Amino acid sequence: MSGLPLFIVLCSGEHEKIQMAAMMASVGAVSDRKVHVFVSMNAILAFEKQPAGVGPTYQGGHMSKIMLQKGVPDAIELFRQGKMLGELTMKACSMVMDVNQWDLDHLVDDLFDGMEGLTSFLSSAEQGQLITL
Amino acid sequence: MSEPRRIDARGSYCPGPLMEMIAAIKIADVGEELEILSGDRGSAEDIPAWIAKVGHEHIKTQKIDDYWSIVVKKIK
Repeated sequence: MSGLPLFIVLCSGEHEKIQMAAMMASVGAVSDRKVHVFVSMNAILAFEKQPAGVGPTYQGGHMSKIMLQKGVPDAIELFRQGKMLGELTMKACSMVMDVNQWDLDHLVDDLFDGMEGLTSFLSSAEQGQLITL
Repeated sequence: MSEPRRIDARGSYCPGPLMEMIAAIKIADVGEELEILSGDRGSAEDIPAWIAKVGHEHIKTQKIDDYWSIVVKKIK
């Protein structure tokens, strides 16, 4: 592995920011960097498991509409590809999970590696580059 | 000399073509050449940058009509 590990705190529920986080995480992970993503606040809503046949529900503006219309790679699929092709871990914020009374089964499959507290995540992030969206 | 294996990612947007190419490189043999076709302008620059960063060999990039052909050789 080359380069500093990349730590991404994703707390916005906006599609555009979730898409940017997914692009940075997936490209970083396939470029020989360890990537760690911490999902908190409204961002967690985009990762809620949906009934069969229903895709992710994103909140978004102008770019979100265009990206959905043009079929830009889906953010959740990009995170999955990053995990499959590189070293990417995803953690759900334990506070947000607690207040929603959710467990990991409530979130999309094959993506999250567990829950973590912010203190622990920030402590690990001292070893790398931290980006917040 | 055999033709490089072709991955047609035209119609996919950034970083789709890159991710498709990386998935193919993962399962390719060392020394094998792959050709990625992309209509995405950003990918035409990003893919050679990725190839250089991770240490494969960028053979060529060619603009053909409204898409790009990028050939990479797996080195390791």
